[in-house]
Amino acid sequence: MLKAIVQREILEYLKSSKFLIGLCLTVVLVGMSTFVNIGDYQQRRQDYLDATQNLTEDFGVKIFRKPQILSTLVQGRDRELGSQVDISYLRLPMQTSGYMGEFASQHHRYVSGFTSVDFAFVVRVVLSLMVIFLAYNSISEEMAQGTLRLVLANALPRGQLLFGKFIGGLFIILGCLTIAILVAVLVMVLHPAILLDRETSLRILGMWVISALYLGVFFTLSLLVSTIFNRPSIGLLVLLQVWIVVIVIYPNVSVILSRHLMVLPSREELEDRKRALFEPYERQYKETVEAFQKMVESNEIDLEPSRKNLEVNAQRTELYHRIDGEYSRQLTRQMLFARNIGLLSPSVLYDSVIQRLTGTDIREFDKFMEGVERHWYKDTERAKLMYTDYKAYQEYKMPEFTYTTQSVTESIVSTLPQWIVLFLLSAVFFAGAHAVFMKKSIR
Amino acid sequence: MITIIKREILEHLQSLQFVILIVLSILLFSTNGWVTVKKHHERMTRYSDAVTQVAREPSTVQTSLFMHPNPLVLLADGGSEYQPPGYTLGPKGKLNTMPAGPENFKMPAGPELDWAFIIKVVFSLYVLLLAFRGISGEKEAGTLRLVLSYALQRSKLLMSKYISILLTVAIPLVLGALVSLCIVSIFIPEAFSLSIVPRIGLMILLAFFYLSIFAFLGLFVSSTVSRSSVVLLILLAAWILLVVVVPNVSGILSNKLAHVPSEYQTAARVSPILQEQVWGRIDKVKERVKRGELTTEEAIKKETDQAFEEGQEVVRNHYAVYENAMKRRADVARNLSRLSPTALFQYASESLADTGPGCEGRFLEDAKTYSATYDSYVLQKVGRLVGTSYWSFSTDIRLDGKNIFITSPSPQEYQGDKSDFPRFAESAPDLARNMQETFLDLAGLSLWNLISAAMAFWAIWRCDVR
Repeated sequence: MLKAIVQREILEYLKSSKFLIGLCLTVVLVGMSTFVNIGDYQQRRQDYLDATQNLTEDFGVKIFRKPQILSTLVQGRDRELGSQVDISYLRLPMQTSGYMGEFASQHHRYVSGFTSVDFAFVVRVVLSLMVIFLAYNSISEEMAQGTLRLVLANALPRGQLLFGKFIGGLFIILGCLTIAILVAVLVMVLHPAILLDRETSLRILGMWVISALYLGVFFTLSLLVSTIFNRPSIGLLVLLQVWIVVIVIYPNVSVILSRHLMVLPSREELEDRKRALFEPYERQYKETVEAFQKMVESNEIDLEPSRKNLEVNAQRTELYHRIDGEYSRQLTRQMLFARNIGLLSPSVLYDSVIQRLTGTDIREFDKFMEGVERHWYKDTERAKLMYTDYKAYQEYKMPEFTYTTQSVTESIVSTLPQWIVLFLLSAVFFAGAHAVFMKKSIR
Repeated sequence: MITIIKREILEHLQSLQFVILIVLSILLFSTNGWVTVKKHHERMTRYSDAVTQVAREPSTVQTSLFMHPNPLVLLADGGSEYQPPGYTLGPKGKLNTMPAGPENFKMPAGPELDWAFIIKVVFSLYVLLLAFRGISGEKEAGTLRLVLSYALQRSKLLMSKYISILLTVAIPLVLGALVSLCIVSIFIPEAFSLSIVPRIGLMILLAFFYLSIFAFLGLFVSSTVSRSSVVLLILLAAWILLVVVVPNVSGILSNKLAHVPSEYQTAARVSPILQEQVWGRIDKVKERVKRGELTTEEAIKKETDQAFEEGQEVVRNHYAVYENAMKRRADVARNLSRLSPTALFQYASESLADTGPGCEGRFLEDAKTYSATYDSYVLQKVGRLVGTSYWSFSTDIRLDGKNIFITSPSPQEYQGDKSDFPRFAESAPDLARNMQETFLDLAGLSLWNLISAAMAFWAIWRCDVR
């Protein structure tokens, strides 16, 4: 019996115009956005490769941030964050800049105002709406037409009917999602700039699972609403109001709330903190730098003042970076606070997981900056050798810049609470739908 | 007709959509007011401190010009977080943007909760929710046949539905706007003057002009398709395309259409240009010294100063070419997005609020005017004009067995009394000019209104009421 219900549901969905319109819109948007995003990724990757080869620094080191391959499907923060960091014993910034450097680059200015359209966007906005449209009248329509009474007049348990509808709907939704992701993968595979390895394929699989969980929340919610309201149009309106609040309004409000509830120190405060931290070393710093300047002006090369000058400057950079590092952590805390406020919205949960899976979130950026800090220590040690052991300095080979990236498993484990919450939301909504349906009067 | 309008309004007022829209509207507009108050206070404090600092420490090397915070970000923020707080100005009109960007760059970049956002996203959707059953609902219920059996023209029925939708939406819109204005006027009364009242009035009119497109579109689809659920599906697909997809996708499409050398390519050219244009010129001076054409230190320094200035100018132009190309690309993106009424409304709102790129353009004109005053002041005090530069260069030139230390010229600080330092004054926003700027967007919105109205009338005339 269950099989018959599932088959009927699937057939009904497949015949409906809403399914066809939703699927066409999804396929066109996913295909187009992936194609356009690949072009953007290709340009950024080429720039990264060229910069690594050609943009060298006489003084200090330039470190470049590699674009993430899966930013073609989930742009996240990958494009808007900068591409390079200039470090030396005199400077260790807490933020990346564009290739033109900290002051000349305005990479973020001209791309602001246009958010990305990518696979994640299509799932978050278009497919979630389509799911609502498919399921808003699952029970209420049958109730309104009187077929529910007829169906339940047979020896069919209510639970089985609901479960059949659930399985049938889920099959269609997962089918749509699979088609969408296959279109995206096909566009990627056919593009010469993209090479999908095993790790990337696993991440795409993870994206499919989390997207399915996310859509499952809207599907079960639609089932619940459909069992509560007898009139399908009322159910649809309720669901649309929920959708607009959960997808459009609440995530933005959570960012605003976080900004105003967790206040950040001003630039002036940060400067004051830096001055206070460096105060005990200020006198020694001034004396050393003055001695070094005198040496430069006198044109007499002496290693000792040069070494000391490097050491005091490196010490100052390190101390200043402590304040900057703490400030950077505060920025992360504020961002996480916004995310935690927004946890009531499945779209915030979905975004945080999918961006982590694709390596386009702030965690990836923070790890990159931690790598930059480690690299700075190595570079400073190397610079010191210039005045203590010149031969060793010449022989010293700077290790390649690396930072720790998360594997697929680590990404999943670190976002496990979000996965669980999404699953629980689906379970609670389905249980709610079941409970309401069991007690529902079908007269 | 009035009877139908009254009946329709009454039905809308009793609907669930209307109740939720009222609640959402009050919540969103009050949040908008609250956020604007906080933001304006912070920006005013920073602005006052910065302006005081400039007045306290006038400089002939470089001065800073700050943009006055605009309280009308309330209406349309116009990406104010990404706009520089001001520009630094050096002699010879060298303007450089101050660092800009959101306070927390790690925070996801979302739209600001201004009036423009609330109207273009939330209200447009609710207009569709009010309109989708306008004709198809009556057809499903069988009342359309009944209504049209009276001596009532179809066009009048459509107009009644249209007017009733806009009047229904007017209640939460005006109520919300009043709440927002009350909050702002209570906490920042100084920001409100009579001069901004016409702008607020025009913004409300603009909102109705924009929402009217969605009312017509809703009624068009409702007249064309019989089943309300399909009508709603089509309208939501159209809403996603017009409100979300087209305005956003144009940003990345412009990358394809307006070719700009990437930032890397621009950065990679800087070093060769410096080598060629700065050091190449210095090398020529050195050769002239060797040939004995320049025999005194003064003559050498005069030549190297000129060489540095000319060389640096070429590099500055290289940066300017990139910057202008990026601006052109942003313009292409904006023009592409103008296919959507939502983008047209957004840009028209920014012009009315005097925010966004137009406002920065006006500020830059003022800055350029001021730079002439600043230059004459520097010339009068220091005696010469030397432009500021990102770079400083130094080298040695050997003349008669003696090393001459050469550095690139930099502006000098006047050490005497600078109490007569000219103050920068930003010109007041000009409503007539802002209206001129909105012309293209208003024309676009009119076209959208015209087309959607024509489609709605055509659909109702051809509608099969059986």
